Amino acid sequence: MTDDENSARTLRVDSLARVEGEGGLRVEIVGDELRDVELRIYEPPRFFEAFLRGRKYTEPPDITARICGICPVAYQMSACNAIESLCGVTVDGPLADLRRLLYCGEWIESHTLHIYFLHAPDFLGYDGAIEMANNQREHIQRGLDLKRIGNQLVALIGGRPIHPVNVRLGGFYRVPIEEELRAFLPQLERARDLALSTVRWVASLPTPEFRHDGELVALRSPGEYPITGGRLVSTAGLDIGPSEFTGHVVEDHRAHSTARHARLRERGAYLVGPMARFALNFADLSPGARSAAAAVGLGPDERNPFRSIVIRAVEVLHACEEALAIIERYRQPEEPARPVEPRAGVGFGWTEAPRGVLWHRYALDHEGTILDVRIVPPTAQNQPSIEGDLFQFVAAHLDLADGELARHAEQIIRNYDPCISCATHFLDLTVHRT
Amino acid sequence: MTEPRVVIIGVGNPWRGDDGAGWVAADLAAARLSPGADIVHSDGEPARLIDAWEDADLAIVVDAVHSGAASGRIHRLDAAGVVARPASRPTGSHALGVVDAVRLGAAVGRLPRRLVVFGIEVADTGPGRGLTPDVARAAQTVAHSIEHEAGTSRPGRLGGFRDA
Repeated sequence: MTDDENSARTLRVDSLARVEGEGGLRVEIVGDELRDVELRIYEPPRFFEAFLRGRKYTEPPDITARICGICPVAYQMSACNAIESLCGVTVDGPLADLRRLLYCGEWIESHTLHIYFLHAPDFLGYDGAIEMANNQREHIQRGLDLKRIGNQLVALIGGRPIHPVNVRLGGFYRVPIEEELRAFLPQLERARDLALSTVRWVASLPTPEFRHDGELVALRSPGEYPITGGRLVSTAGLDIGPSEFTGHVVEDHRAHSTARHARLRERGAYLVGPMARFALNFADLSPGARSAAAAVGLGPDERNPFRSIVIRAVEVLHACEEALAIIERYRQPEEPARPVEPRAGVGFGWTEAPRGVLWHRYALDHEGTILDVRIVPPTAQNQPSIEGDLFQFVAAHLDLADGELARHAEQIIRNYDPCISCATHFLDLTVHRT
Repeated sequence: MTEPRVVIIGVGNPWRGDDGAGWVAADLAAARLSPGADIVHSDGEPARLIDAWEDADLAIVVDAVHSGAASGRIHRLDAAGVVARPASRPTGSHALGVVDAVRLGAAVGRLPRRLVVFGIEVADTGPGRGLTPDVARAAQTVAHSIEHEAGTSRPGRLGGFRDA
């Protein structure tokens, strides 16, 4: 749409499709110069932190699961970690294994949704998965099959495929018997094959040249790929525990967004999520995942965010292999959960949601009533970095027509799979030229 | 001869007022059909919807719709009718929905043998439980229609509830 034929041009794209959540992006160009890029978030904040106050310490795993329909397990696990650490309870052995198994299901489900139905159409020039399905039926079928097995794994451990109901502080309400899990092995073996095919397929997609040079931040846990905990490390030497998070990360409000923006106090924008996990933990991938990555030329030095689709596929393969290993060694624990008694104080916890590290903090009184909560989701942490990528790309491609520019900008945002439900939301794109 | 498999899928969010119409209609139908069809509560995510209906002889999906028509108005479409609808860019927070699921299922050959989609026009989808009166009446009517539709496929085996 043209505001003024000589000087000003405003392009509106009414919805930014294929991103979870609702929100928008505004690009301001003056003459030949890019002035500003803003991820504009307009859905009201969800106030989860506020309405957890006054609730019982046992409730956050169920309540915070409702923040996101795609990664509810991440919320449950970060909440459990934070409150259990305050209450002096360590969940290990088969119960910890079951938590990782549940989380593997979520990684498979969430990553597969993004790879096949949200991200791949970008690379092949389709408007969406439905248009792609007409010509790429075999791939969409593989995506559906793989996602289904992820759903089934979440349902097997969590009781149902969305917002699992079987998670509690200290463990679970019910743990599966060994035969139940063993019966699922053939499905997981099939998922592993599908995941390997996925890695090969997405690695063959045409990828634009691009480089993200920001600091990469992820959990690291000795001897395992980080999913359910660890220390927070970075490519610039960060190495902290969960209670130190707010000493290093600051959040601020921006006028254009109702989600907070997180930055490292010393160094500014940083990136969490698959590319960061992969770069910082390559050696701890399962053998099959590591060799599949190597076979498609993907290593820990990968910094092209357009290749994040391949990294997600490698992580799906890892999740399948780890799930297989967990089921092979599983012995049903005697009790489904450790007792967790309340303690007054402040507890901190984090896990690796599919989109990156998810940090929770809970303050409790001696009866276990929640006094205060803070939750920092991955998308809030990535927003400044996504804006940085957009600025870099748009500045280098000002000659593109608005429609093309908008299309590429959407793809850049999707590189990070922003689950805006967690960070409140987006969907609306405006390019403003004067 | 095996009994035909019938699945009733309610789509929506019961915590957002009239958006819960699909779940309510499915539950009312379950009471009428007992023992009968499988009842599925869905948030509309396409891959899970396709899972829910893929092997069914008859799948009936009920969802809330907002086209600007009077609240409580009922739409009925079969698979061909859904696929023939003009494409629209998704604007909801789930990005894809029932229409996309049907189109996707059709493109990859994963539809039930017969599919019927009911849409109930909504009035209020604000936070909270409960349907507005027109929508509640429409849910009753749809439940009755489901019974009629399913009757022609005569479900025989014991069904159950599940989430998808």
